[in-house]
Amino acid sequence: MLSKQWGRRDNQAMTLPNAASAEPLLQLDHLSRRRAGRPAVQDLSLTLSSGQVLGLLGVNGAGKSTTLSMIAGALRPDRGGIKLNGIDFLEHPELARRLIGWLPERAPLWPELTVSEHLDAHGQLRGLRGAALKQSRTAIIERLELQPLARRLAGVLSQGQRQRLGLACALLHRPALLVLDEPANALDPVQVATLRTLIREQAAVGTAVILSTHLLLEVTAVCDRVAILHEGTLRHDGPVHSDDHAALERSFFEIAMTGSTDAARAA
Amino acid sequence: MSAAFVSPIAVTRLEWRRLLVRPLAWVLAALTLAWLAWNFTLLLGGFLAGQIQRAGAPDGPGFTDLVAVPLLGQLAQLAFLVVPLLTMSMVAGERRNGTLPLLFAAGVPASRIVLGKYLAVLGWLLLWLALTLAMPLALMHATHLDWGKLAGATLGLALMLATLGALGVACSTFASHAAIAAAAALIIALALWSVNLGAQMAGLNGGAINWLAMSTHLQPMLRGLVSTTDVVWFVLMIVLLLALATRRLGAERERG
Repeated sequence: MLSKQWGRRDNQAMTLPNAASAEPLLQLDHLSRRRAGRPAVQDLSLTLSSGQVLGLLGVNGAGKSTTLSMIAGALRPDRGGIKLNGIDFLEHPELARRLIGWLPERAPLWPELTVSEHLDAHGQLRGLRGAALKQSRTAIIERLELQPLARRLAGVLSQGQRQRLGLACALLHRPALLVLDEPANALDPVQVATLRTLIREQAAVGTAVILSTHLLLEVTAVCDRVAILHEGTLRHDGPVHSDDHAALERSFFEIAMTGSTDAARAA
Repeated sequence: MSAAFVSPIAVTRLEWRRLLVRPLAWVLAALTLAWLAWNFTLLLGGFLAGQIQRAGAPDGPGFTDLVAVPLLGQLAQLAFLVVPLLTMSMVAGERRNGTLPLLFAAGVPASRIVLGKYLAVLGWLLLWLALTLAMPLALMHATHLDWGKLAGATLGLALMLATLGALGVACSTFASHAAIAAAAALIIALALWSVNLGAQMAGLNGGAINWLAMSTHLQPMLRGLVSTTDVVWFVLMIVLLLALATRRLGAERERG
């Protein structure tokens, strides 16, 4: 049944393999990973349902990017499991191809390719072909206002333009889970507002979003939930209220400065 | 087509596109083909000048021996430099750009990444060989070609280019910088070519050391002698090098 889903080349809305309504879309189960000889992520467990937007907060080196790389399938965990809609993602890494869209930190690109060629390459890597690819490319170029840049080489784009292209690549195949690592980096205020709208739109159509950021305001603006990582461990996981910025700030600083979770519990 | 075949083709397309827009590939193709064309005219001039002397010896060397095969021999010499330059940034460059995780995240296994990149460079190399071969073939109606000998030499050259391509991809997979990958591929290729030089100087023409050398397996083919042992040697080398590259890339995915 899985292979049927992977072999699809049409551009219809995503239907998840073996969809079981009770299962969360994403399930991280005691995930651990060492990097450069030290534990980068330790015993991390989280769940995320379709349509939810989770903000991942933490100071530099807290383990956010490592966590997101593991979820995106770019890095294998040392221990623990990742399930996508109840299916072991580590045993079926091909699931990432169709189900996950990933914008890594600093949006790495192939400098020799144009914006349009980038989108084609990403689409082909994710199994899109022919008319479906063309349709998706046109739609995402229009949505992210990339028309003036379509023929420009990625190597000469500004950092903000690179971010937009990276975002377009992540969204091209209409993923069920969108993983964004500091997507607002280098974007101007107008582009940040567009990004927020885009995230809300994605959530509204059932896409789950994980958003790693340093900006607390970003979390209160678009996220339903927030998870705070410190030294590779999950110190706080709870809902976010848009009028609750001060409490979130208190929790974040308490955890970041002392590693304590008392304030977070109070929040 | 099943999903298993999608990824290597997608990687090949991506790599091929990157190869075609990179000035290095065009510059290498233009310069080497110009050099080979110049040498072809020199070889042809020499062949025409010596035609009267050779008229008395009907079994003497012909156009294939004096023009076509020496031209392919020059292509083989150029390949030692061209292939490392062409392959050096295939994986090392991706690593520097930070784009390698994009391929991992697309669910493409290490074996298919390596295979996809290898097929792209192999396509370029075979096109290069075909364009070189077009020079002597352009005269096929004006002279007598020894088709068997030419086919043997072409097969040998194609296998040699395929082996050097696999070596280049493997070196690029292991090296952190493209320049290191190019240097390593050049040195290993030269070592592989001349590993039996000492043994040959000592008058030893058999044994494992001679079997290991690439020259032992290419030279009979350039003379038109194709043996299964020689073909198997090239195939074994290609498989071994691609397996090493796959293993290294797989370990990198695990290690991060």
